[in-house]
Amino acid sequence: MIQLINLSKHYGRIKAVNHINLSISKGEIFGFIGPNGAGKTTTIQLIGGLMAPTEGSVMVDGINMALEPENAKKKIGLIPDRPFLYEKLTAMEFLRFTADIYGVNATEFQEKSGQLLQMFSLMDRAHELIESYSHGMKQRLIMAGALLHDPLIIVVDEPMVGLDPKGMNMVKTLFLKLAEKGTTIFMSTHTLRLAEDICHRIGIINQGELIASGTINELKEKIKIDQADLEEVFFQFTG
Amino acid sequence: MHNVISLLKPRIWSFKNRSRDNKRWIKIGIITTIGSALWLGIFAVSYRVLVYIKGIEDIGDILAFKLLSMILLTLFSLLIFSAILTSLSKLFLSKDLILVHALPVSGETIFLARWIESTVDSSWMVIVYTIPVLVAYGTVYNAGAFFYLNMGITLLPLCIIASGLSALVVLVVVIILPASRIRSVFVFLGLLVFIILFVALRMLKPERLVDPETFSSTLLYLQSLSMPSSPLLPSTWTFDSIKAALQNDMVQSLFHTGLAWSASAFLVFVNLWVAKGIYFKGYSKSQASTIKFLRTEGQWMTRLFSFLPGPTRAFLIKEIKTFWRDQTQWSQIFLIAALVVIYIYNFSVLPLEKSPIKTEYLQNLFSFLNMALAAFVLSAVTARFAFPSISIEGNAFWIVKSGPISIRSFLLIKFFIYLLPLLVLTEILIITTNLLLQVTPLMMYLSTITLFFLTPGVVSIGIGLGAAYPDFSSENPSQTFTSLGGLIFMLLSTAFIGLIIIIEAGPVYTLFVSKIYGNSLSALQWSWIIGSFIANFIISILVIVLPIRYGEKHLAIHLPLQPAKTKRSLRGTDFKIE
Repeated sequence: MIQLINLSKHYGRIKAVNHINLSISKGEIFGFIGPNGAGKTTTIQLIGGLMAPTEGSVMVDGINMALEPENAKKKIGLIPDRPFLYEKLTAMEFLRFTADIYGVNATEFQEKSGQLLQMFSLMDRAHELIESYSHGMKQRLIMAGALLHDPLIIVVDEPMVGLDPKGMNMVKTLFLKLAEKGTTIFMSTHTLRLAEDICHRIGIINQGELIASGTINELKEKIKIDQADLEEVFFQFTG
Repeated sequence: MHNVISLLKPRIWSFKNRSRDNKRWIKIGIITTIGSALWLGIFAVSYRVLVYIKGIEDIGDILAFKLLSMILLTLFSLLIFSAILTSLSKLFLSKDLILVHALPVSGETIFLARWIESTVDSSWMVIVYTIPVLVAYGTVYNAGAFFYLNMGITLLPLCIIASGLSALVVLVVVIILPASRIRSVFVFLGLLVFIILFVALRMLKPERLVDPETFSSTLLYLQSLSMPSSPLLPSTWTFDSIKAALQNDMVQSLFHTGLAWSASAFLVFVNLWVAKGIYFKGYSKSQASTIKFLRTEGQWMTRLFSFLPGPTRAFLIKEIKTFWRDQTQWSQIFLIAALVVIYIYNFSVLPLEKSPIKTEYLQNLFSFLNMALAAFVLSAVTARFAFPSISIEGNAFWIVKSGPISIRSFLLIKFFIYLLPLLVLTEILIITTNLLLQVTPLMMYLSTITLFFLTPGVVSIGIGLGAAYPDFSSENPSQTFTSLGGLIFMLLSTAFIGLIIIIEAGPVYTLFVSKIYGNSLSALQWSWIIGSFIANFIISILVIVLPIRYGEKHLAIHLPLQPAKTKRSLRGTDFKIE
């Protein structure tokens, strides 16, 4: 569903992402972990089509992001780590805006917007300007917007930032349910516990390079520690 | 005082760090060149006017000093207007205040540091462009070194007083007003004061000052000129000090300068005392957001624009709603409306019938010039609305970039959203003024058609350059027209308007003269006229296409979700990497 082919992004002499090759299947939850400045957000932005790679390509459901960006983006629901939104719109208006952009028809919108606002506990404040929302509420609204068009792929950067424990639990359950239904999830996170709990495979990135990837057990095997948790695996790989 | 300096250091260091960026020096070079040209222009015009006024027998000096008094009063009003907005932002709305208030320093220390910043920010430009006028006075009156030295010493307390009074008003009003309304109320108040001053000045017809015949008697005229300004006004102290310095009366000059300094010292004391009592309370109040519930269940706008494609409709509705819900935008409309009213009013009072030149010729000449003026008004409005429309997306620009819509479509949507209202405004402007001028049908058709083709070009330059020079991290995107991109927009749109008008001028004159005198035109003249109009048509089309493409190219490589302030580092790395 997602293929990163020899993907690189350079900022002058700095190689933020360096020749990453990765393939993620339908219905898979892929966790992307790494220290600060490792290149996680850059990779997410490359997959989301927010920037063009210096080298290599991103394929989304067989569509090349560089050649057909609009078609590729229709397949994705992007959730960035910082909830920047149009502050002068209400939540309902923001969802309607998203629906128009992604071509969700009116009937489907009526049905889905209500469901999503309910699911993310935003129904009571749906007609309130976003500028009065808390960080967590904005984050939940972005998630609702990303799910509105039933994307085949969800690309999410730090999903738990700003969420309360109830919200975190809800997101965990939601991602698992979506994956069961065949949605592919690419997720970068510092919350190793989350990655351990829900990811089918994990990739570790350091200084722009994908230094290891596989299931937790495969990663443990690589460093030859049986009883380690993901935190220990992470420290072993990243030093 | 140590803490005040420490609080000012980030600003000073940021300024120093920015100057290490080589690309910035190019920008600084361009802005300095244009700024210097403007400075010299102001000096030249002031010098000429003063030489003329001073030359008027008997009353030349009185006139010159009256003018100086008016200039200083206007300067003081401008300083207050500017300081109200700046101090509100610096003391209560800046994003870094959260960090600053978390520091272990007292409220009045923060207030003092912020007030110093606000005073510098609100007054430096006003002062820089007042100096050439005062230098012109010094030159015309052959003033000595004391005049120039005193000029600096006496302008500084005027800035402190203006900024001090503004900060005091802001401190008190923030305590009284609901937080969500603070900025809009101040913008409205400030603009209202500015517009009233402007309209009042216009209604007073200052041009009459150089025409004593319009007064019923010489006595009345002289009386109106020599009437002193209020001694309670700080601008009067500055005026008295400058006037005395021009007349080489050092003691009188220093007395009035001392008066201004003592008032500003008193104001510093009062402001610190008030700040100690209420600044933190006000800041705390301004942080509380008010919840606004809106009736958004109705989909009338969606239904109204249902004929449009989804993305176009989405952006159009978003743009309209965002615009009307942001009260700071209304003030822009308010300002534009005042500008248009004053513009049209000026045409209604043109004394064409008193002119010795043939009225029909003059009316059509004015109409032709009016075409250029209307186009410049269009440029100014485009700079205020269309140019910042890309930056207005702010940090939410990632939504556009990650959405299934190309940058070109996004820019074209923005283009059409702004084209329609600007086209209507420009056509109303030109048709109304043409009707007031009672121009011939030829000029009416010509000017409406020319502006019909010119408007899309100007809007395209605005959108294209807005996309090429976006500032997504700006706290006030509508002010981005003052940036380098805004400056380039004004230069390019002026060049475009100038080119179109110049190409049209010759053929229109030939056509007009032949019509007045009933001469027939030769085939060569007809070819020239038709060729000129075709050339203008082609230029207009190119100017619609090229800027949008230029903007598209630049915006396509822009990275959202990375505020400009965090993405640059001193080692030349352009982006923050996570």
